Amino acid sequence: MSMVSPESRKSEVSMTNNALRTNLADNVIIALQALKKGDMAIVENQKIFEVMEDIQAGHKIALESIAAGEKVYRYGEPIVEATRTINRGEWVHVHNTRPVPSDMTV
Amino acid sequence: MEFNGYAREHGGYGIRNHVLVICSVNCASGVAQAINRALPEVVPVINGYGCGSSGHDTVVMLRTLAGIANNPNVAAVLVIGLGCEGLGAEHLANSIKGKTVECLVIQRDGGSAATTKRGIELAGRFLSLARGQKRVPVPITKLVVGLECGGSDAFSGISANPAVGAAADLLVEAGATTILAETTEMIGTAHILRRRAATPELGEQIEKLVNNQEKKVRHALGEWAGMVITPGNIEGGLSSITEKSLGCIEKGGTTPINEIVGYACRPVQHGLVIMDTPGYDIDSMAGLAAGGAHIILFTTGRGTPAGFPAVPVIKVCSNSTTFKNMPGDIDVNAGTIIEENKSIEQVGQEIYKLMIRVANGELTCAEKNLSIPFNYLKEGPTF
Repeated sequence: MSMVSPESRKSEVSMTNNALRTNLADNVIIALQALKKGDMAIVENQKIFEVMEDIQAGHKIALESIAAGEKVYRYGEPIVEATRTINRGEWVHVHNTRPVPSDMTV
Repeated sequence: MEFNGYAREHGGYGIRNHVLVICSVNCASGVAQAINRALPEVVPVINGYGCGSSGHDTVVMLRTLAGIANNPNVAAVLVIGLGCEGLGAEHLANSIKGKTVECLVIQRDGGSAATTKRGIELAGRFLSLARGQKRVPVPITKLVVGLECGGSDAFSGISANPAVGAAADLLVEAGATTILAETTEMIGTAHILRRRAATPELGEQIEKLVNNQEKKVRHALGEWAGMVITPGNIEGGLSSITEKSLGCIEKGGTTPINEIVGYACRPVQHGLVIMDTPGYDIDSMAGLAAGGAHIILFTTGRGTPAGFPAVPVIKVCSNSTTFKNMPGDIDVNAGTIIEENKSIEQVGQEIYKLMIRVANGELTCAEKNLSIPFNYLKEGPTF
C-alpha cells in the first residue's frame, strides 16, 4: 500500500520534470529546459536539489559531487573526466571536464 | 508475439507485397518512370549509376540492388536495362532469388516505347498476383528492424534515440533482429562498443571497424573532419565525441552485439547486429534495406521526410517543435519525454506497438507521402 497521501500524490503528478537521468549509473542529469540559479531540479517527479548556476537546455548538471579526475557518467558510460571538483547542482561541461585520456580527441 | 506477413518462397516473410521496377543503369530510368506513371502502385528504384564505376563499387552496387530486390517486402521485380551498361540487367535479374523476376533490355526489346509497353503489361500482371496473396501469422522472431538517425539535434540523445533504444530492447527480448547502422556516428565509442560485444573476437572487430572509419573520415576530410567527428554542437551541451556518439548508439538499446555485417549484407544472427554504413541517411537505409530490414526506425531532431523504396520508415522526432512544424512527416513525437513527463520506456512501448501495426499493414507518414528517395554507397570515382 502506498504511504503517499492523496494530496501529496496530486502535487507530485502536477510537477513537471525539468531534468532527466538517462541511466541509473549516471552522476549527471540533463536539463530539459533552461534552468536559473536557485531553481529546483525535478527528475522523475521529485525535487532533488537546487541548481547552483544558470543551465541551458540539453546541458549537464552534477547529481553528486564529482572530484577532480573522477569520471562523469552519462548513458551509464564514462563520457569525460572532471578537471576540478564539481559540486552537486553545478553545470558540467568543457570548462570543468576533459575527454577521458584514452578516448579519441579532435 | 506475432504479426501478419506475406510468405516468400525461401522461408522469409514480408510486411509489404511490393512490385519493384528497378533500372540496372540510370540510362534506363525513363522507362522505369514511365511504367510507374502508368501503374502508380509499383515502386520505382531509380539507380543513379550502373556504369563507369570501379570493380569494387560495381560489386557493392550489385549487392545493394539485388539485396533490395531480395528484401522480403518485395513480391516481384521487373528489371529494366539499357544493354551496353557495366552492370548487366540480366546479371542483376539472375541475382534475385525466390520471387517472380522479369528483365527487359531497351536496346534489345525495341527501344523505349516498346519496352515501356511490355513493362506495363508485365508489372500489371505482377501487381494482380501480389494483390491475390493473403497475409499469414508470422512469429516476431522473423522481423528485422533497421535503426537510423538523421538531422539530429541536442535533444536526439535525450528523447528520440533512447526511446528507440527501449523499443529495440523489446524487439530483441521478443527474439527479433535489430541492425544498428552508421559507423561514422560510432566514432569515439569503439572502446564501449567493444565491451558490449557478445564475444572478445567480435569486440576486437568492432573496435577495428570504428577506428578505421575514423581514419577514413580524417583522411577524406582533413581539416574539415571536425564537422563529422567533433561534438556536433558544444553549445547544445555535448562535452566530448564519446558523449555525442553515445547519444547516437542509444538507438541500439542495451543488449549485446551479436554480429557485424558489411554494407548491404544480410545478418545471420538474431538480436542486435551492427552494419557498416555511412552516416548519409539515404545510403545507410539502402544498406539496411539490402540487408533484409522489414522496417526502419528513424530518429530525427530537425525533421526529415525521407522514407525508402519497399521499406516502411517510422520517424521518431526528438522534440515537439519539429513535430508540429512538419505535420504529416513524423510518426512518433518523443518530445513528450521532455514536455509531458513521459518516460523513455513509455515512448519505447508506443514505438514498439506502432511498429507491430506497421508490420500488419498500417502505413507510415513516408509511405503516405510516397517519399522514397534512392541512392547507395559509392566510394570511387566515375570513369
